Amino acid sequence: MSIQKQAYNALEAVVGSKYISDDPVICEGYRSGPGGYESGLGYERVMTKIPGAVIMPKTTEEVQQIVKICNRYKVPYVPYATGFYGPRSHCHVENELLIDLKRMNQFEIDEKHFYIVVGPGVIYSPIQQEAFNKGAYVVIGGGGAQASAIANLIGDGWSPLSHRIGLPHRRILGTELVLPDGELVKMGSLAHGDDPFWGEGPGPDLRGLLRGFTGLRGCLGIVTKMAIKTLPFQPEPLIPTGISPNTALALPQKRVKWVNYQMPSKAAQVKAMFEIGKAEIAGAVTKVPLFWRAIAKAECKEEFWEIWGKENEDTIKNFFIVRVLLIGYTSEEQMEYDENVLNDIMKELGGIPRPTKPSDESWLKNADSAGMWLMCGSYVSVDYIIESLSQATVHGEYYAELKRKYTPPLMPDYGDPGWFQSFELGHQGYSEFLVYWDQDEDTTGVDHFYLETSKMNIRERFYTSLLGPHQPLFLTGPKYGPNYHEWLLKVKNEFDPLWVCHPPVPLAHDDFVNRAEWMKPLKDWESPEKLPMPEWK
Amino acid sequence: MRIKNELAKIVGKDYVSESMEDRVKYSRDESLLPPGIPDAVVWPGSAEEVSKVVVWCNEKDIPVVPVSSKVHFYGCTIPKQGGIVVDLGRMNKILEIDTENRLARFEAGVTWEQLVEELEKKGLRPILPLLPPGNRSVLTDTLEREVSTNIVYDYGEPMQSAEVVWPTGEIFRCGSASVNGFPDSKSRGANPSGPGLDFYRFLQQAQGTMGIVTWISIKAENIPKIDKIFFAPVEDLAYAQDFLYRILPRRIGQECLLLNNVDFAAILSAKGFGDFDVLRAKLPPWTLILTISGLIRRPEEKIAYEEKFLNQVLTHEFQKMALTDNLPGFPGLGRLLMPMLRRPWPSNLPYWKSTVKGGFQNLFFITKPNQTPMFMEIMEMVASRYGYPIADIGSYIQPIEHNRACQVEFTFFYDPDDDVEKAFIGDLYIDAAKALMNEGAFFTRPYGKLASIIYDRAANYTMTLKRLKKVFDPKNIMNPGNLCF
Ligand SMILES: Cc1cc2nc3c(=O)[nH]c(=O)nc-3n(C[C@H](O)[C@H](O)[C@H](O)COP(=O)(O)OP(=O)(O)OC[C@H]3O[C@@H](n4cnc5c(N)ncnc54)[C@H](O)[C@@H]3O)c2cc1C
Repeated sequence: MSIQKQAYNALEAVVGSKYISDDPVICEGYRSGPGGYESGLGYERVMTKIPGAVIMPKTTEEVQQIVKICNRYKVPYVPYATGFYGPRSHCHVENELLIDLKRMNQFEIDEKHFYIVVGPGVIYSPIQQEAFNKGAYVVIGGGGAQASAIANLIGDGWSPLSHRIGLPHRRILGTELVLPDGELVKMGSLAHGDDPFWGEGPGPDLRGLLRGFTGLRGCLGIVTKMAIKTLPFQPEPLIPTGISPNTALALPQKRVKWVNYQMPSKAAQVKAMFEIGKAEIAGAVTKVPLFWRAIAKAECKEEFWEIWGKENEDTIKNFFIVRVLLIGYTSEEQMEYDENVLNDIMKELGGIPRPTKPSDESWLKNADSAGMWLMCGSYVSVDYIIESLSQATVHGEYYAELKRKYTPPLMPDYGDPGWFQSFELGHQGYSEFLVYWDQDEDTTGVDHFYLETSKMNIRERFYTSLLGPHQPLFLTGPKYGPNYHEWLLKVKNEFDPLWVCHPPVPLAHDDFVNRAEWMKPLKDWESPEKLPMPEWK
Repeated sequence: MRIKNELAKIVGKDYVSESMEDRVKYSRDESLLPPGIPDAVVWPGSAEEVSKVVVWCNEKDIPVVPVSSKVHFYGCTIPKQGGIVVDLGRMNKILEIDTENRLARFEAGVTWEQLVEELEKKGLRPILPLLPPGNRSVLTDTLEREVSTNIVYDYGEPMQSAEVVWPTGEIFRCGSASVNGFPDSKSRGANPSGPGLDFYRFLQQAQGTMGIVTWISIKAENIPKIDKIFFAPVEDLAYAQDFLYRILPRRIGQECLLLNNVDFAAILSAKGFGDFDVLRAKLPPWTLILTISGLIRRPEEKIAYEEKFLNQVLTHEFQKMALTDNLPGFPGLGRLLMPMLRRPWPSNLPYWKSTVKGGFQNLFFITKPNQTPMFMEIMEMVASRYGYPIADIGSYIQPIEHNRACQVEFTFFYDPDDDVEKAFIGDLYIDAAKALMNEGAFFTRPYGKLASIIYDRAANYTMTLKRLKKVFDPKNIMNPGNLCF
C-alpha cells in the first residue's frame, strides 16, 4: 500500500520531506467520500482506492519533475485540487500517487483587461471577492466557491450567470499544462511570453486538449496555471449580511435584483426564456429544481421532508417559475430598461411577479452546495448539458419519466423536469437533472439508472454531458461523432503512452461495468474483450 | 490523366480538372508568397465525396489542399507540395436558419454576401469582421477567427457545431451535432464543445491542416430596430484608448473601431466618397467609430440610456473626445458607413484594400489596448529604417470584448507588378513582425513566412501541435507546408 521506495525517494528530493507522505493516516484522509457526490455508489466502491502516497508541489517545475519521475518508475498518479468532485477525483488503482495541488494557490488580477491568473490550488471564493472589488465577476458553479477554479473550468463551469457566457471554455485564457509525460505546454499568449491575457494559438488551438464538453477528470495532464476571463459587473458594493449559516449578500436594488415570476404554463415559461434572450437583457434566467425551494426554506432535514412531503404530482405539474437576475451593468437607467422589457414580456405571457428577497443567497458569491446532501445524504447530477433552449426545455421530462422506474431508491420529486436555463442570451440552453438517494440503502437501482440515462440520450438523440470518462466510453463512443472514443484514445495514447495519468480514466466506467456483477445485465453494447489499456494491479 | 480518372470516379468527370489553366488559377493568391502548382483540382458536391477524395489521397500519400473562398490574402491555399486542390465552392447551401434558437448552419462554400442576405430575410444578421470581401467563405473566416467589429457580446466566438472530414477520411461532427442522426435529433447543434475532447478547437486557425470542415453553424443576432453612429477625430491614441476602457466594459455600443486616415480613406474612396489622396490628407490621424443600437424591444429607451451614459462620460471625464454623429468636414459619412458595417464588401466592386495600389499585405496581432501607442511607434521606427513613409501605412485597431484586448492591423500597399517593391514590402513585413513580436505582440495566426518565426519562439507549443497532428494526420497530407507542419 505504498509506492516504490526508489520513486518515493526521488519524489521526496523534489518537494522535501515535509510535502510528501505515505503515512496511512494521511493517505486515509484522501479516501473518496463521504462528501456526498456519487457517494456510496458502485463506482465509488469498486473503483476508488486510498493513495499509496500524497505529494504537494508548489511550482510548475516541481509538478513536471514529479510527473517525469512517475513516468520513469511507472507510478500511476492523479491530480487533485479539492477533491470535491467525488470518486472520479480520487485514486483508482493501488499504489497510486495523489498530487495535491493546494499549495499552488497564488492569484493575480488584471483589472483593466478582465482576467485573473490563478494556480490550481486557488478556489473561487477569494477571486470572486477580488473581482467584485474591481468591478468584475466570475461564474461560480453550484458546487460552491470552495472548489478549485481551474478544476472547475476544465471540467464544469456553469451557473445561472452563464446567461452571458455559456461555455466556460471561452473563459479559459493563457494556460499552462504539464502533459502526462511531464512535457510542459504553454497555450495562447503564454506560448510566447509571460502575459496570459489571450487564450488561443498560435495556430490550431491546443485548449482542445483541456477538456471536452465536460472534463477529462485529470487523465490528460495537469493544469498548473490559467488566466480566467472575468465579466464586467456593476460598480456598487454587495454587502454581506446575516449570521452563518444564514448569510447573504444585500443587493443594491437599483443595480442588482432577483425577480421571480410565476408563469401560467410550461409553454409560457419556455417562451419567456426565448424572449428574454432575444431581447438581450438580464444577467441570469433560470428555472431551478423545485425541491430547492424546500431546501432553501428548511432549517434541517426533518423540516425539508415536512415541506417537500406536502407536494405531489399535481402541485409540481402546475408550478412554473422563471427566476431572473437583473444587473445594471451600464447604469441605473439600463437596469430600468431591462426591467421594462422584462415586464413587457411577462405581461404578454401572463407571468405574475412573486415576492423576491432583496439579497443573493447563492449564485453571486457562495453558490453554496452544502445543503445539497441535506435530504438523503448522497447526490449526483446525471446530466448538466449546454445545447439549445429547444433541447434544454424538454430534456428533463425524459429524465423524469425514466426516473419513475428507479424511485425508490431515488428520492421522489414528483415528476419535476429538473433545472433549465438560458445561456449566451438564449443562443444556448442548459439542462441539469439531479438525483438523490440514501447511501446506506441498496444503490443498485441508482447505478442502473445512471447508465440507463446514457442509453436514453442515445436513443432520443439528446446531447449529454456524460460522455468521455463519465459513462462507458465504448457505449457512448460509437454514437457520438461518431466514434469520438477512437480519437480520444489515440490522443491519450500519444500523450500518455504508459497510461500513468489517472488510470484507468477515460476507460474507468467501462472497467467498472466489467467488474461489477450487478452491472452486467445492462451491458448490451460492443466492447473489446480486454480494454485497450495497460493493466494496473 | 490517371489522377483525373480516379478522382472522376468519385466526383464525376465534370468536377475534376488537370488543365493547366485551372491548376495555375489555384497556384497563386493575393499574398506575397511564391506560387505552387497543384496536380489536379476537384469540386466535390458532398461530405461523402470529400471523404472519398481524402481517403484516396491518403492511400496514395498525396497532399490535399482545401479551398472554400474565392479570394485569398495569406497564401494558405497555395499548394506548397503539389497535390489535389479540393475546392468546396459547390457546397454552398445554407442548410438551416433556426430563428427560435438564432442559429444558422451552412456549408463551406457559402459567402458573406449569401449569408447576410438570407439571414436578413428572417430579421437576423451574423456579426461581421470589418468589410470582409463579399465572396469570401464565412466558414473559413469563422474558423480562422477573423475578429468582429462587434464588441458587446461577452460570448465572443460565433461558431457553434461543425462537421469535419478528418485527414484519414472519417466524417465527424463536433459538439452537440455529434448526436446520432443529427440534424434529425433533439439536439440542434448549438454547442461546439465535445464529444470527449474539444475537437473544434483543433480546427480553429488550422489553415486546413487538421481536416476539411464541410459545414458549421453560427450564432445569428437580431437586426436592431434603430442604429446610431458616432465619430470622433483622434490625435492622441492613448487618450482614445482610455475613453474605450471607460465605456466598453459598461456595455456601450455594438460596433466600435479605430481607423487611421489611410485605411479610412481607402474605404471611403473605394465606395466613391472622394479621392483617396484628398481624403487621406483631410481625415484626422485616427477616427473612432462607435455605433449604438436599439434592439427589438423598446429600442428608443435603449438608445436613450446608452446616449445618456456616453454624454455623462464625455462631459465630466473626456471633454477632449469630440464624439458626435458626424465627422467634421465629412457630411453624410454616418449615413454611408452605418449600413456598410453590417454588410460585407460588395464582390462586384474592387476590394477596398486593392484600390490603393493594387496589392496589399496585412500584418496583424493581438495585444492590450494600452500598448497600441507603443506599437505605433515601433512600426514608425521600422518603417523609417526602411525609408518607407509611415503616411502610407494603413492602421486599424479593433477592440475585442469590452476592450479587454484588441487586434492591431497594419496594411502595406504595393504595386503587384513591381517586383522590386514587392520584395521590399516582403522584407519590411518580416522585420516589422519581428520587432513587434519582440515587444509582446501576439500573432495568433501564423501565415506564410511568419509561421517559422512564430513557432521558433513557441517551442513547447510547436512540439505539442506536431504530436497532435500526428494523431489525426499521420501522413501529413492535409495542406502540408503551412504552420509548423
Ligand atoms: C454538489 C455539487 C454541485 C455542483 N454543481 C456545479 C454547478 O452547478 N456548476 C459547475 O460548474 N460545477 C458544479 N459542480 C462541480 C464543482 O463545482 C467543481 O467543478 C468540481 O468539484 C471540481 O472542482 P474540485 O476542486 O472539487 O476538483 P477535484 O475534485 O479536485 O478535481 C476534479 C477533477 O479534475 C482533476 N483535476 C483537478 N485539478 C486538476 C488540474 N490542475 N489539472 C488537471 N486535472 C485536474 C482531478 O483529477 C479530478 O478528476 C458541482 C459539484 C458538486 C459536488
